[in-house]
Amino acid sequence: MKFPSPLSPIHDALLTGAAVWNSADSLPPSVSQFDASDPQKAALLGVADHSHLPRAGVKGPGATGWLAELGLSLPSRSNSWLPFPDGGLIGRLGNTEYLIEGNAARVAQIMQTPRAPGVYPVLRQDAVFALCGSRVNELLLQTCNVDFRCLVADPTQLLLTSMAGVSVLVLVAGNKIHPVYRLWCDGTYGLYLWETLTGIAEELGGGGIGLDALP
Amino acid sequence: MKIMTCPFNGPRPVSEFFYWGEIRPMPDPATCSDESWADYIFNRNGAPGVKQEWWCHIASNTWFIAERNTEKDLVLRTYLFEEEL
Amino acid sequence: MPWRLLRFATTKKHPEPRMFTEHAELKPSYDVVIIGGGGHGLAAAYYLGRDHGITNVAVLEKGYIGGGNTGRNTTIIRSNYLTPEGVKFYDESVNLWQDLSQEFDLNLFYANRGHFTLAHTDSALRTMRWRAEVNKHYGVDSEVVGPDFVKRAAPMINLSCGHAPILGALYHAPGSIARHDAVAWGYGRGADMRGAEIHQQTEVLGIDVRGGKVCGVQTSRGYIATDKVLCAVAGFTPRILDMVDIKTPITIHPLQAMVSEPLKPWLDPILVSGSLHIYVSQSARGELVMGASLDPYELHSTRSTLDFVEGLSAHMLDMFPFLSHVKVMRQWAGMADMTPDFAPIMGKTPIEGFYLDAGWGTWGFKATPVCGKTMAHTIATDTPHPLINGFSLDRFRNYSLTGEKGAASVGH
Repeated sequence: MKFPSPLSPIHDALLTGAAVWNSADSLPPSVSQFDASDPQKAALLGVADHSHLPRAGVKGPGATGWLAELGLSLPSRSNSWLPFPDGGLIGRLGNTEYLIEGNAARVAQIMQTPRAPGVYPVLRQDAVFALCGSRVNELLLQTCNVDFRCLVADPTQLLLTSMAGVSVLVLVAGNKIHPVYRLWCDGTYGLYLWETLTGIAEELGGGGIGLDALP
Repeated sequence: MKIMTCPFNGPRPVSEFFYWGEIRPMPDPATCSDESWADYIFNRNGAPGVKQEWWCHIASNTWFIAERNTEKDLVLRTYLFEEEL
Repeated sequence: MPWRLLRFATTKKHPEPRMFTEHAELKPSYDVVIIGGGGHGLAAAYYLGRDHGITNVAVLEKGYIGGGNTGRNTTIIRSNYLTPEGVKFYDESVNLWQDLSQEFDLNLFYANRGHFTLAHTDSALRTMRWRAEVNKHYGVDSEVVGPDFVKRAAPMINLSCGHAPILGALYHAPGSIARHDAVAWGYGRGADMRGAEIHQQTEVLGIDVRGGKVCGVQTSRGYIATDKVLCAVAGFTPRILDMVDIKTPITIHPLQAMVSEPLKPWLDPILVSGSLHIYVSQSARGELVMGASLDPYELHSTRSTLDFVEGLSAHMLDMFPFLSHVKVMRQWAGMADMTPDFAPIMGKTPIEGFYLDAGWGTWGFKATPVCGKTMAHTIATDTPHPLINGFSLDRFRNYSLTGEKGAASVGH
């Protein structure tokens, strides 16, 4: 059985003449380069779209046991995440809810395995963005009430807050010197959040970038 | 900025929360009279005071209880429903 | 006028009478005691004297007159409501407003501006059409217009409004604004001239009810005997009703507003947007008077917040980007007494002689004249005025709510 991932919720907004698309890996296309100035923008303030990654969600009182039986190592505390050894990540969004992303084999396994009692699927049609660059905190000051630098101190943490009025899930990837904040929001707010974030980024000397430019 | 403390996610601006009103015991709809049912669904304790209220942290969908003074706008305590059982 | 000024200059005794008589003492008894010296209470005192010859009336005010929601609203007057009860009631009020300056011999700065309720979504536009039809049926001037019409009436508007483009509007030509303090003062002076007494700094501490009948009122300045009490205290309603053990659905939410620095006249109509949570008009002084939606949780406080100014300013800039350098001068809040069906609670109560004029939430100012008139009738005859039949407290016992979706600053 094949589970095609849908196109990015902001796919149409990315259709610019200069964009270089990556259509490999049987995944929906993603933008690897937005335009020639990507590296400069990424150094100051870049916003990239990760929404094309495969993704699955489960929740319910039986979710923890069921995922453990599938052989996944799970984050032990709520609002934290773990990388899979073979790529992708699993996040624990509360006591009994999980998000699995970026590892096609894991996602397919979760979608195809018959669910146990007390395990419910969660439809994940998120828009997923990455923020990087030296001026990223200036953007956060304008859009968010929580200082994301607390994530750099504890990189296994997941943060659930709101940005520009939209509920988001945030984690930090990258390293301490060049943190990359990755955020998930409901796909229907994707275009609004993308326009808001790239609009502010452009004012600060950055803008939309392709995935290749991320540190 | 007003701060509300989610028992799960910690202190956050009140704009991240949703208010669902005072906690009130529901009479049994099968046995209670029309009048006491109307009293339950419509009437409220509108006078100021310390009240126990349902609140929800929207970003994480965490429902919890806040004890709040509705005259002074002071949150005295927040806790999960399960913690009180 | 110059002659009067000259007279003032040449005398040591101030020859111009004050707006109202100050009464040193409360009388031991009155025919009617009105709790609350806002527009509604003073208007009731005025019409009791003018229409029903009842002048042995005391208006008790805890603070100063017009200091509550009468002085805290955004002064919009309109009648384009949704339910037949609402439309008939508010239309009568608009008619009363139009002669009020004349009647008081006091300039209320009543200005007919035209009122637009903007629709940013298809569903909002559907509600506008519905409201227009109900309004027309009852003879109220209301119509749905397109974005071009809005642009002509308010050329500075940005029709795309950020992420919420304007699809159309409900246009209500009689929509007006008035100076709110003057309304309280005008009614107060009119009632005073007819013999009613206004007692400021007089707090009600208890209501004496015996055998289901009102006998008197305990105040911070002594006891008053009376067998008729009108409660017209807006945000303090639940506290007064607790004294007589009457239960209602009223909950108190703050409603905030602010004004900008004065600008040259550029905005003629009154604009309201439910999606952006804005209502705005330009006052005679040139200030933009702006309001937003209700604060989302119960609070008995008139303190304003920074969140409110930030949120409302952001939405104002969506609609009028050129205002980005305009300063906000003042902000404040009023305590709105909200009901679940966005209609008021008016008329008699289970206690004989205790009358209620409450639940005026975010829509009370425009109703000031008609409330005074109908409540005066209700008190004088002990029978609810026909216009307020749909607003009785009983509707929450009989499951017969009104469902007024035309109210301001509430989401639908």
